[in-house]
Amino acid sequence: MLHDQQPLATDQQPPAPNLSLMTARLYDPLLKVYRNYTARVFLQAIITIWVVMTLTFVLVRLMPGNPVDVLVEQILTAEGISYQEAYDRIAASFNIDKDATPLDQYLQWLGDLLRLDLGTSITSPGTKVIDEIARFLPWTVFAVGTGLLISFVLGIFAGMPMAYYRGSKLDHILSFFSSFSTGVPNYIWGLLIIIGPGISWRWFDIGALRGTYDVGLTPGVNAEFILSALEHAALPVFTYIIAILGTWMLSMKSSTTGVLNEDYVNVAEARGLKERTVISSYVGRNAALPLFTQLTISIGFVLSSGVVVEEIFVYWGIGHLLFQSITVRDYTTLQGVVLLLTAVIVFSNLFADLTYGLLDPRVRVSGEK
Amino acid sequence: MSAMSPETILRVDELSIVYRTDRGDVRATNDISFDLKRGEAMALIGESGSGKTTISLALIRKLPKNAVVTSGQILYQHDSNVQDVLGLSRRQLRSFRWNDCAMVFQGAQNAFNPVLKIRKQFEDTARAHGWADKTAIRKRALSLLELVRLDPERVYDSFPHELSGGMKQRTLLALGVLLSPQVVILDEPTTALDILTQRAIIDVLNDMQRKLQFSIIFISHDLSLAAEMADTVATVYAGEIVEIGGVDEIFYRSLHPYTYGLLTSVPTLEHAQDVLQSIPGSPPNLIAPPSGCKFHPRCSFASDQCQVDSPPLQLDIGSHLAACWHKDRLLASRKEDA
Amino acid sequence: MPESIIELQGVYRSFKTGRTVVPVLQDINFGVNKLEFLCLVGESGCGKTTTGKIICGLLPPSSGQILFEGQDIASLRGAERRRHRRSVQIIHQDPYASLNPTQTVKEMLSYPLLAHRLVNGRRGAENRVNELLDLVDLTPVEDFVDKYPHQLSGGQRQRVSIARALTTEPSVIVADESVSMVDVSIRIGLLQMMMDLRDRLDVTIVFITHDLALAKYFAWDGRIGVMYLGRLVEIGATQQIIAAPQHPYTKVLLSAIPEPDPHKTRSKQHIQLRSEDIPRLTELPPGCSFHPRCPWYVPGACDVTVPQLALPPQAVVDSEVACIPLERGDELVLHDA
Repeated sequence: MLHDQQPLATDQQPPAPNLSLMTARLYDPLLKVYRNYTARVFLQAIITIWVVMTLTFVLVRLMPGNPVDVLVEQILTAEGISYQEAYDRIAASFNIDKDATPLDQYLQWLGDLLRLDLGTSITSPGTKVIDEIARFLPWTVFAVGTGLLISFVLGIFAGMPMAYYRGSKLDHILSFFSSFSTGVPNYIWGLLIIIGPGISWRWFDIGALRGTYDVGLTPGVNAEFILSALEHAALPVFTYIIAILGTWMLSMKSSTTGVLNEDYVNVAEARGLKERTVISSYVGRNAALPLFTQLTISIGFVLSSGVVVEEIFVYWGIGHLLFQSITVRDYTTLQGVVLLLTAVIVFSNLFADLTYGLLDPRVRVSGEK
Repeated sequence: MSAMSPETILRVDELSIVYRTDRGDVRATNDISFDLKRGEAMALIGESGSGKTTISLALIRKLPKNAVVTSGQILYQHDSNVQDVLGLSRRQLRSFRWNDCAMVFQGAQNAFNPVLKIRKQFEDTARAHGWADKTAIRKRALSLLELVRLDPERVYDSFPHELSGGMKQRTLLALGVLLSPQVVILDEPTTALDILTQRAIIDVLNDMQRKLQFSIIFISHDLSLAAEMADTVATVYAGEIVEIGGVDEIFYRSLHPYTYGLLTSVPTLEHAQDVLQSIPGSPPNLIAPPSGCKFHPRCSFASDQCQVDSPPLQLDIGSHLAACWHKDRLLASRKEDA
Repeated sequence: MPESIIELQGVYRSFKTGRTVVPVLQDINFGVNKLEFLCLVGESGCGKTTTGKIICGLLPPSSGQILFEGQDIASLRGAERRRHRRSVQIIHQDPYASLNPTQTVKEMLSYPLLAHRLVNGRRGAENRVNELLDLVDLTPVEDFVDKYPHQLSGGQRQRVSIARALTTEPSVIVADESVSMVDVSIRIGLLQMMMDLRDRLDVTIVFITHDLALAKYFAWDGRIGVMYLGRLVEIGATQQIIAAPQHPYTKVLLSAIPEPDPHKTRSKQHIQLRSEDIPRLTELPPGCSFHPRCPWYVPGACDVTVPQLALPPQAVVDSEVACIPLERGDELVLHDA
């Protein structure tokens, strides 16, 4: 953006001090922070997260029912005691202060948050939300990360020939697949996999693939456990790959098409470089550059959209935790998971912004100035 | 055509190229023939769409995919060995490019891969042609960068975006002669550069050619550049060479009304008012070019014959050829004016 | 003194990008006389395009004034302001970019006519469009009125954009590199047509170009102003500028440009610059911004004081120059390269 500015005239009298200049001086430290790019985007990120968290706080409390009612229902039908009795018993076992107004709860929660304390679960007292997240998150990171990386690499290698042979049969077939892959949401892909190979054709036993590893195994670095973990993750990972691959292919195709028209590719060919060199260092490298940014941004997106996929395959990751906490109205856990997902999305965007320079020398230098 | 003398390095022989488009075939070049001698600087002048760029792209076989060479040969003579560039295998072509014939494209602004250092791009080029020794490449590159009057060490370790437009253009020239090519093609080498940068490039080019003894084909719409740098000038109109000759022959005794028209439409810096005139009309559509002489609709000398018969490129005096039925009338009218 | 239709007084303009302030124009002072041909010449980044935009009121100056017929354009309001906007028009370099690709020539030209109520209804607009096309030599008119920009050649497109500038009956037209994208063979025709407009329509034309030879042709009876890094360094009668350039930068420019004549261009003396690097606008050298490159540079003077545009005391011609040695009445002494 260009702004009007007093001219820098070395041979002119300095402008007389005026009111706007003086007020500007007052806000100088704040302005300085605001003008620092990194500081500014961090500030924006924090504010975004806070807004989302506050909305979540309000929204979860607007959901019909509450944690106590959910369990009271269960006990009532199971034990046949009076409502009041059941209510008192559940309330006592819960980690809540019944008299606290929502505002008190909000302030309490916000205060804890500032100390990076996510609180403890409402429905299972004594369990820290952070521990719950730590238990489930690695599996999600594993599945989503693998899916994302494999699809990214495949997409780059499939997207380039699409651009090179634009208009060919190969391009048409791959483009059709890409649009299909992008258009169909990942949970639908998940359902299709369960219904097709899983139930109709019985290629594998869906039931045995519940959870993140076979029952009875102890997590650790041993072949049996690792194999089992891979086996359990295979279907969600495959779903992620199928669902995201098309995006990468189309992005890479359009990016490569652009790069192929660049003078430097033309010159590289005129220089008699080996075709391999031109494809990798001149076309591939430049075409993939913008996709790395997209990759970072999509981490957050895939993580959150994987919630339903995990539930479909009964894969015990963060999505499963989220579902559970919604079912029993465990507000604190729910808030914790949403906070996590929001933070990942916001910070992966931020990270993409700040690290692009590491890959592109053009940005690297102007960033230093 | 006559046998190639040992002095001839490149012979273009009746080259015709057509672009296949949805609207029809564009006859981009038609029966182009010329010889390029060792150490010679030849200028192809003409307006946009005249086919001069097509000729240059054909020389290194970098024509767009929809281009078809319908006839002709491009003979390249090296160590008394004659090859047809159009018949080279992929491997031979790759080696021919840059090693024998380098092309410096228009707009050096974008000629370098933005993510690789200049050093890497020199190395890539040398290695693709069999150089293995990095220090030898470096030594050669630095001496060339010095020849184009750049700070060699600094430029060699820069990223392209760290160089100004003029510096990039000069770096590209240095890269162009890295493998000591026999022929260097320059496409609008000074267009879009500032006046003082243009001057620097012209001086550098003259310097390089004197020291390295390569032949130059340069393509330009700038007549002044041709006047300053060329030994031979070929005027290209509607895909045909309509006149070719020594630089003095073309500038002081032009035999084709189009060349003459171009000369009288360029303002000078002489200390007298210029009397200038545009050529009426606009360049023809090459999908359906005019019959006979393609210039006849814009030509003040055109007669009935011009509408029907296409004039052949005929030898006049010395090495001066022109394709016009009315050379004499043009010469006579110029005498009257003078 | 002839009457100035436009007068720039102490005009500064800077742009801010991020944390850096780029001084694009500094202390510009000149007037455009009514019906004269004035050319602003300079290399990229010299500020000539910004000056053009400021003249048209498309860009306000950071400080300084622009007088149109003696009135500060910043003080104009309402009807007067609209009149100024209509009276001063600009023609851009690339007619392809400035013409709406979805409108025919007729639509393009009728719109401003109807919007400014310059004609009476459709019928009036049609007549006026025909008149305008005739003015810019797009005849027979019927061949052009219903064409879209992509159906026209580069020269024809530029003629349409000139016709569009004429719709508001301007008294000043700023032509910014208006022929540089047009083929050599038809460039002069376009230029001649623009020169004829002055006599046919009483319009003053400010021509902006990087091509000194073109400037010489266009403004042979007028003036040339030479700009360098945001300042006007020399302004004077064209014939004097070409035959006897005063400012070192003008001298160097004229000596550097090749001529379309083999003998002349090859025997031309080129003045060597002390440095080929053009300083960035953000890191302008102190004093005269040309001093690091100037072959006539006087240490201790040129690198200290900013020269002012003025008629030098011992001038042989009446060009105004901004050069310290000339300002002091000294002879220029060439440095050994």
